Amino acid sequence: MDKNKLLTKKPQKSPYHPSTGTLDWLKKNLFSSWLNTILTFVFATIITFIGIGSVKWIFLTANWHVISANFRLLIVGQYPIAELWRVWICLTLVSFLIGLSWGLWKGTMGHLTIAVTSMYFIVGCLPFILMETRIWLLINIAVIGATYAVGKKWSKLKKSTLIGWFLMFPITIFLLNGFGVLNHVGSNLWGGFLLTLLIAIVAIVFSFPIGLLLALGRRSKLPIVRWFSIGYIELIRGVPLITILFVAQLMLPLFLGNGIDIDNVFRAMVGFTLFTAAYLAENIRGGLQSIPRGQFEAAEALGLNTTIKMTFIILPQALRAVIPAMVGSFIGIFKDTSLVAIVGLTDLLGMGKNIISNPEFLGTQMEVFIFVALVFLIFCNLMSYASRRIEQSLGVGKR
Amino acid sequence: MLEKFKSDTPLDQRQDIVICNQLNKWFGSLHVLKDVSLNVKQGEVVVILGPSGSGKSTFIRTVNGLEEIQKGSITVDGIPLSNDIADIESIRKETGMVFQSFNLFPHMTILKNITLAPIWVRKWPKAKAEKVAMELLERVGIPEQAHKYPGQLSGGQQQRVAIARALAMQPKIMLFDEPTSALDPEMIKEVLDVIKTLAGSGITMLVVTHEMNFAREVADRIVLFDFGEIIEIGTPNELFDNPKHERTKLFLSQIL
Ligand SMILES: Nc1ncnc2c1ncn2[C@@H]1O[C@H](COP(=O)(O)OP(=O)(O)O)[C@@H](O)[C@H]1O
Ligand SMILES: [Mg+2]
Repeated sequence: MDKNKLLTKKPQKSPYHPSTGTLDWLKKNLFSSWLNTILTFVFATIITFIGIGSVKWIFLTANWHVISANFRLLIVGQYPIAELWRVWICLTLVSFLIGLSWGLWKGTMGHLTIAVTSMYFIVGCLPFILMETRIWLLINIAVIGATYAVGKKWSKLKKSTLIGWFLMFPITIFLLNGFGVLNHVGSNLWGGFLLTLLIAIVAIVFSFPIGLLLALGRRSKLPIVRWFSIGYIELIRGVPLITILFVAQLMLPLFLGNGIDIDNVFRAMVGFTLFTAAYLAENIRGGLQSIPRGQFEAAEALGLNTTIKMTFIILPQALRAVIPAMVGSFIGIFKDTSLVAIVGLTDLLGMGKNIISNPEFLGTQMEVFIFVALVFLIFCNLMSYASRRIEQSLGVGKR
Repeated sequence: MLEKFKSDTPLDQRQDIVICNQLNKWFGSLHVLKDVSLNVKQGEVVVILGPSGSGKSTFIRTVNGLEEIQKGSITVDGIPLSNDIADIESIRKETGMVFQSFNLFPHMTILKNITLAPIWVRKWPKAKAEKVAMELLERVGIPEQAHKYPGQLSGGQQQRVAIARALAMQPKIMLFDEPTSALDPEMIKEVLDVIKTLAGSGITMLVVTHEMNFAREVADRIVLFDFGEIIEIGTPNELFDNPKHERTKLFLSQIL
C-alpha cells in the first residue's frame, strides 16, 4: 500500500477529505496560500486588539454599578416594591406552565425550558441581587422541576395546559393592575423590561387573529370585506410605526369618547397590535397563496364547508409555510417596542435613558446600552431558535 | 334523492342519477363546453374519451360544482345544481372525486386523510370512521400504510389512498379525472385494478382516461369529446368497432 502511494506522483485524495487534526484544519482554512496567510494575520491582529480592548473595558473600566443599582428599575420600572409579589406570582405561573408543557411535549419545550431555567439561575447568582429575589427565583426553578415531573406522568393534561396558557394573559393583567380587588397599580407605573414584554406579548397574541382575519378577508368574495382588508393593510403598511403610535395616543380617546380615561400603555398596545396585524396579514396571505389549487378542490370535492376546509386543510399548511416570516415579524415588533419611549412610556430602553440622565450615573451610557442590547439579544435569539425548532418538528411528512 | 336500485334491474330500466342538459361554459371568450347533454343511469360506468384540451376535465368538474356553468342545467341524485352552496355541498356529499394529481393532504396521515370528511361532514364517530377507513385501505391493498404521510408513498399508492378517501364518504357517484395519467407505467395497473373492482359494485362512475383497453373492459357506455362537444356516445363495441363519426375514427386511429 505505502509503496503504491509513493509510486503515484500525487497521492490520490478522495474529493471529500475530512481533515484529521487541528493543524490540518488550520493549514487548509487559514494558511492555504500567501494571500490567505496575510489575511489571517491581519484579522488575527485586529481581533486581538478588539478582544483585549473589550475585556479591559468590561472588567476594568466599565462601571457596572449602574446596572446593579438600578436592576429593579430596568426590569420592572416603578412598580411599587410592596406589590412586587404580584409580578413574582405571574412569573411563577408562567414557570408552572413552562414546566408542565415541557413534561407534556418534551422536545422543543425542553430546550426552551433549559434556556429559561438557566436565565433564572444566572440572575439568581448575580452578586447584587436581593435575598428575596433569590428565593423567588429558586421557587421558580423548583416549580419548573416539579411541574415537569407532573406533566411527564399525566399526558392527559395537554388540553388544560393549553387553556392555562390562554388564561395566563388575563390573569397577568388582572394581577398587575389589581382592578380594585387588589391595590390599584396604574400602568403608568409599569415599566422596564416588564413593560417591553407586556406590550410585545399583547401585540403578538392579538395581532395573530386579526391578521388571520385580514388575510382571509383579502381573499374574500365579498367586495366590502375584500376592500376593507386591502385598505386597512395598505394604509397601515404605508405609514411609519411611530406615526401609528402617535395616532393611537391622540385618536383613540376621540373614537372611544372623551369620558373614558384610557391609559397610555393600553393605547400603545392597541397601536402595536393594529400595526403588527397588517404585516402578519401579508405574511399569512403569502402562505395561503402557496397552497396549490388542488388542495382546495380536493377539500371541496369531499363536501367540506369553507370553515372546515380552511381550519383543517388550508390554514395548517399555509401557516406552517410562513412560520419563519411570522416569527420575523414578531421579533421585529419585540424590538420596536423600544419606540414607546417616544410617547412617554418607560420601557427597558426608556428606563435606561432615564437612568443615564441621572447625574449620579453620569457617563454610563455604554454600560446601560450594552445591558439593554444584551437583554434584547437573548430574547430575540430565543424566539428565532424556537421558530426553527417548531419548523423542524412540524416538518414531519412534508411533501 | 333517488332510491337505491335493485342490482338485478337492467340498466335501461334504472333511473338517471346524473342529468346534464345543454351545458355551456366559457373561460373568458373560450367556449369550452358547447351544448353538452348526457344522462347517466344509476350504477352505470361511463368512460369519457377525447383529445387533450377538448373539455373532458371541465365537463366532469361541472358535475360536482367545481366549475360553474353559464348555461344549461345539471341534476345529480335528484338535486338540481344551483348557485346555492347548500345544494352544491349536498351534491358533493354524494359524489367522490379522484384527481390526476392525487391531491392528498400532505400534512395528515393516510388515516386522517380518509377519516376527515366522514367525521366532519357525515358526523360519524371517530371509531366508526377509522374502522371504515381501514376496511377501505384493505380493499385498495395498502392497510400497512395507514399511519404514514402521503409524501412517504409511491404515486400508485397515493392514488389508491385518494380513491379510498373518496369512497369513505360512501358516495353514489365517483368521478375520475385521468386517474393514471400522472403515474409511472408500472403503477398504472395497480390503480386500474382498484377502479375495475369498483365498476359493477353498483356505484355510478364517470371516468376520463386515455387507457383504451381499460375503457373497453369497464365501460357500459363511452362518450367521445372533441372541441367541447360530445361527438359520439355508444357501447364500447359500437364505438371501437363501428365508429360512426369521422372525428371518432380519426381519434381512434391516432390513439390505438
Ligand atoms: N381555469 C381555466 N381557465 C382558462 N381556460 C381553461 C381553464 N381550465 C381549462 N381551460 C381551457 O379549457 C379547455 C378545456 O380544458 P380541459 O377541460 O382541461 O380539457 P381536457 O381535460 O379534455 O384536456 C382547454 O382549452 C383549456 O386550456
Ligand atoms: Mg384533463
